[in-house]
Amino acid sequence: MRTRHLSLIVLLFLFIVTGVGYRGSGNTAGTARLEAQQSPAAPVVPLPNRDGSFKFGVLGDFGTGSQAQYQLAEQMVKLHGRFKYDTVVLSGDNLIGSERPQDFKVKFELPYKALLDAGVKFYASLGNHDAREQRFYKLFNMGGHLYYTFNPRPDVCFFMLETTYPTPEQFDWLEKELKASSSNWKIVVFHHPLYSSGDRHGSDLRLREVLEPFFVKYNVSVVLNGHDHFYERVKPQKGITYFVVGSGGMLRVGNIDRGTGITAKGFDTDQAFMAAEIIGDEMYFNAISRVGQTVDSGVLTRRKITP
Amino acid sequence: MSATRSVVVGLVAAAVLALGACTRDGIPPAPPATSASPASAPATERIVGPLTPADAQALATMNDRLKEYVDLHVKLERSLPNLPKEATPEQIDKNQRAFEKLVREARTTAKPGDIFTPEARPVIKRLLATIFGGPDGQQLKASIMDENPVDPVALRLTVNGRYPDTVPLTTVPPQVLQTLPKLTEDLEYRFIGDWLILLDTHAHVIADFIDNALPK
Repeated sequence: MRTRHLSLIVLLFLFIVTGVGYRGSGNTAGTARLEAQQSPAAPVVPLPNRDGSFKFGVLGDFGTGSQAQYQLAEQMVKLHGRFKYDTVVLSGDNLIGSERPQDFKVKFELPYKALLDAGVKFYASLGNHDAREQRFYKLFNMGGHLYYTFNPRPDVCFFMLETTYPTPEQFDWLEKELKASSSNWKIVVFHHPLYSSGDRHGSDLRLREVLEPFFVKYNVSVVLNGHDHFYERVKPQKGITYFVVGSGGMLRVGNIDRGTGITAKGFDTDQAFMAAEIIGDEMYFNAISRVGQTVDSGVLTRRKITP
Repeated sequence: MSATRSVVVGLVAAAVLALGACTRDGIPPAPPATSASPASAPATERIVGPLTPADAQALATMNDRLKEYVDLHVKLERSLPNLPKEATPEQIDKNQRAFEKLVREARTTAKPGDIFTPEARPVIKRLLATIFGGPDGQQLKASIMDENPVDPVALRLTVNGRYPDTVPLTTVPPQVLQTLPKLTEDLEYRFIGDWLILLDTHAHVIADFIDNALPK
C-alpha cells in the first residue's frame, strides 16, 4: 500500500517537473510548460502562422555543401512559401572543413539563396569547426562579435554565445545582459549542448555548471544548441526547454542514446531543422525533416519568474 | 653563521626538491588546491592555491613575452586595411592571409619557448595537472579530447606555422580558462592532441606551444 502511494507521488512529481502534457495559460511561474507530440503517430501541433507573430528558424551543423544540406534547405524554402519567417538562428558549425571564399558560397550562400533573396536574416553563433573570422561575415550578422545579443522584436531577445572558448569575460557579459534584458522571451543559442543524449558528444557538464545557474536565475525559457548531429527536444530541465538542432547538414544516424531519460523527442534518422512561432507567452515549434515530414511539434509557455 | 648555513641548506633542499619534481615523468607535482583563497584573489590562485615566488616570476616573464607578442600583433594588424564588420568572404580571406604572412615574416626566428619560456612551461604543466588531477579531471579531459584524436607530431606543428585548417578547434573548458594566465582577445589557448597551443586567432598562426601538456 505504502509502495503504491509512493509510486503515485513519484509519478505526480515527474508529471509536475517535466511539465509534459500540460497546456494552458495558468500560473506555473518559473516553469516552461509544454505540450508536445510524443509519438510519430500523434497529430502534429501546427504552427498557427498568425499575422504579426514572430516566426523564426533554427539550424545547426549544416555547412557541409552536401546534397543532404541542399535538400533540407529546399524544405526551409518550401516552408517559407507558406510561413514567412524572417529570422534564422544558427547554432554553429556553419562551415565544416575549409573556409575559403568559395566555401561560403557552396556551404551557405547557394543553399539558402532563396531565403537570403527573400530578406531572411541569419544570425550565427560559432561552433568548433568555425573560424573566428566568420564574425565579420556580413550574412552572419554578428557585427564582428564572438558573442552578442539581438532583439528581433521588443519582447524577444536572443543571446548568442561562443562556447568553444568560454572565457570568464563572456560569462560576466552574459549575466549583465540577461539581467538587463526586459524581454519576455529570453532565448540562448550556442553550439555545445548542456543537455544532449548524443552518444558521440552528449551533455557538456562543465559548461552546464557555469551557464545553467544564469539561465535559471534570469528567466531563460529556451536554449538552442547543436554539436550532436541529430534533432532532440530535451524534457524541461529546471523549467527550461533545450533543443539540440545539429542536423542541418551533418547527421549521425542512430546516435541518440535512448537510455538517458532526458529525451522528450529525438530524431536521428535524417536531417532536420526547426521552425518556431512566438505568440504572446507561447512558442509553437515544428521540427521538419529533409523530406518535409514534421517529426516533432508542440507549444511551450515562457517562464515567468517573479523576482 | 648558523643563520647563513640554514639559508644555504634551505636553498639546496629546495633546489633538490625542484629538480626531483621536474624530472619525474616530466610533470612536476601539483600544488595543493585551496579553497582558502578569498574570492577576490586571481582565479589561478583561487583554484590551485598561492604560487611560489619562483612560479609567479616565471609567469610574469611569460606575461612580458605575451605583451611583446601582442604589441607586434597590433602593430602588424594596423598596417593592414581595416576589415569591415560586414565583410565579404573574399575580404575576410584576403585580410587573414595577408596578416598571417606579416606575422610569419616578422617572426622568422621564432622558436618554441619564446613565449612559453622554459621556466613557465613546468608551471603551466603544473597548473594543468592540478585541474586534470581533480575530481572532474577525466570529464574535463574528455571534453578537450572530443573531436581531437589528433597526433600533433604527425601534423608537424611548428611555431609560426599555420593552424591546420582541417583540425577543428578544441573546446577549452571554462575551468581551464579560469586557471591559465589570462590572454588578450588576439590569442587563445587551444589543444591539438595533448599539446597546448598558443594560437593567434586573427593570423591563424601558432605563436608557441607546449608539447605533452596534458597529464596522461
